[in-house]
Amino acid sequence: MQSLSQTSTAGVLLDLSGVLILLLAFACLASKLFNRYVAYYGAQSVVLSFAAATAAVAFHSVELWILAALTLAVKGIAIPLAARRLLVTRLALKRDAAMSTGLSTSLIAGGALTAFAYLVTRPVLLPHGTAAAAAVPLSTAVILLGALSMVVRRHTVAQLIGWLIVENGVFLGAITLVATFPFIVEAGIFLDIVAGVLIMVVFVSGLTRQLAEASAGELRELRG
Amino acid sequence: MTALAILVALAPLSGSAAGLAGARARVAGVAQAAGAAVAFGCSLALLVLLDGRPPLAGWDGFLYVDPLGGFFAMTVAGVTLLAALGSIGYVAAQEDDGELSGFQVRLYFAFFGFFASLMLAALETGNLGLLFVLIEASTLASAALVGLEGQARSLEAAWKYIIISSLGVTIALAGTLFLFYSASALHLGSNLGLTWPYLLVRAHALAPQSLRLAFLLAVVGYGTKVGLAPMHTWLPDAHAEAPSPASAMLSAALLNTGMYAIIRFLAIANRGLGSTYPRAVLLSFGFASIVIGALFMVRRGNFKRLFAYSSVEHMGIIAVALGFGGVLGLYGALLQTLNHALAKAVLFLSSGDVSLRYRTREAGQVSGLLAAVPLTGGALLLATFAVLGSPPFGLFLSELTIVRAGFAGGSPVFPLLLLALLGLAFVAFARTTTGMITGSPPTQLASPYRSRSAVAATAAPLILGLMVLLVLGLWIPAGLDAVLRHSIEEIG
Repeated sequence: MQSLSQTSTAGVLLDLSGVLILLLAFACLASKLFNRYVAYYGAQSVVLSFAAATAAVAFHSVELWILAALTLAVKGIAIPLAARRLLVTRLALKRDAAMSTGLSTSLIAGGALTAFAYLVTRPVLLPHGTAAAAAVPLSTAVILLGALSMVVRRHTVAQLIGWLIVENGVFLGAITLVATFPFIVEAGIFLDIVAGVLIMVVFVSGLTRQLAEASAGELRELRG
Repeated sequence: MTALAILVALAPLSGSAAGLAGARARVAGVAQAAGAAVAFGCSLALLVLLDGRPPLAGWDGFLYVDPLGGFFAMTVAGVTLLAALGSIGYVAAQEDDGELSGFQVRLYFAFFGFFASLMLAALETGNLGLLFVLIEASTLASAALVGLEGQARSLEAAWKYIIISSLGVTIALAGTLFLFYSASALHLGSNLGLTWPYLLVRAHALAPQSLRLAFLLAVVGYGTKVGLAPMHTWLPDAHAEAPSPASAMLSAALLNTGMYAIIRFLAIANRGLGSTYPRAVLLSFGFASIVIGALFMVRRGNFKRLFAYSSVEHMGIIAVALGFGGVLGLYGALLQTLNHALAKAVLFLSSGDVSLRYRTREAGQVSGLLAAVPLTGGALLLATFAVLGSPPFGLFLSELTIVRAGFAGGSPVFPLLLLALLGLAFVAFARTTTGMITGSPPTQLASPYRSRSAVAATAAPLILGLMVLLVLGLWIPAGLDAVLRHSIEEIG
């Protein structure tokens, strides 16, 4: 597979999508409202599917077109909708208070991680002048930011979104670095994500119900 | 042979089918055990057929069974058989007690079958991308088993397990991606760039920088599933909260599957990078795991947590053995995966019987096991000695091999450190279990089983597992020896 140069139209668009995906990961890290998490994740996935479509045009690859369509349908639409219906609305989640650090601290840590991603990936791994040389540090940074938001947030829904952002980071790297995995593998990864989200939704609902019962029990004990 | 390989992966689904069809625990358990027995028999037959022949490959490398994969599949199928036998009595007793609803019992067997089948399939693929997909899917199936009881504690453990493991395995996917990228100069077709035998042959031509990154990410990622420190934090909670036969599956089958994935990456890294770098990585994570496992075993408390930390320790020993390398190190590592799996299956299955009878998982509240329930108490005692590496059991032999590999490797510091840590682990572990086994039993202990067959199904895997462990300590069958040697030639 030939690699895209940084100055070609497709290369520029890919890099631009990478920057947008990173900014959306930062936006998610800086937000405190549950429906924003979901919205930013959805927007990030839409940009990711645009990046996949760009690569599909550049490489004339049918598999990448399918990947772009799957990303849009599953990650851009289905998962955000399901997360909003089944979690945010049904469990009446609004503000996320369960953070182990303040927002500004986590943003500074995110900035440091982004710089770290550039330091480790840029000079050694990739030939200069390719689109991948710009996009792989971005995707590494997105992976680290997703992991960071899983660490600083204690709420289960926030951790779930963090994992999905990490997954998006890996896909961004895959699109720019190697165009695509074999299709069966790609489809399998999508199946895993969907099944994973479904099982996690069950656990989140169960945990929230248990916690709600526990607090209701406390209220009853205090009465009279 | 292809049919045999497919049967190995599909046979355990019998339990899922029975569960989904709405069978009660006893029937579904028997179906599960029968399926596991078929899988185990087929995996043995496959190993015999593979002897002296080239590996079984098909479907563009998506199906690939070599002695290494066949050996791990035999271990996992054997553990599945033991755990399925254990499930018959355990789950039936919980169902009769009303601890588990009919729906939960059906879920248990449905996911148990999926879990076993996905792991066996993962061991039979040569495509590293598909390996990721199947291992991640097995995480999801087993997380459902961990959270099965639906209590706040088990849901929390399941959440911790699924979120940490999913993140870890995603990191392994990034490693797979960099491995794929390191092969991009070779212009392999898109399937072949992820196919293990192709990459192994061309390991010298892989781009070394991204291969280093790929190996490190794979060890961190799959190491999360293996329970290597410091990524082990999900492991004690999940093992403690899962139903005991499911804990046996986690500890004796799932951890081995993760280790198998690491070994696949190790083989490529060894050829492409030389052994210095992989050795440093594996020794660091291995010793960290042994230290963490041994230190946390000192605390007395939930006995299933104790066994879980012992798994962390043993996975560390295996990682160290892989790091030592050489014929001795690899031989010891592979033998250790088999022995540890058997010993840990017996330990967790006997812990299931203990927690049913004493209605607690706290070691401090259990005493007089040998007097009250001689068979389980005896099994726990023997398995304790086995897992701690005392002769005449198999782990003595494999740990001795590993220490010898360490001395053969040059510096005596590492093997001496290993011996010291093994001593610490021995004291810490035995301190707790001897307290459970000896002493006077509580006055009233009702049997949790309603039928003689349930009692027999609970006893069978304990006796079976211990007998095999004893045999492996005294004598390594020629067939097993050949399989191990062929695997080592591949990894070496």
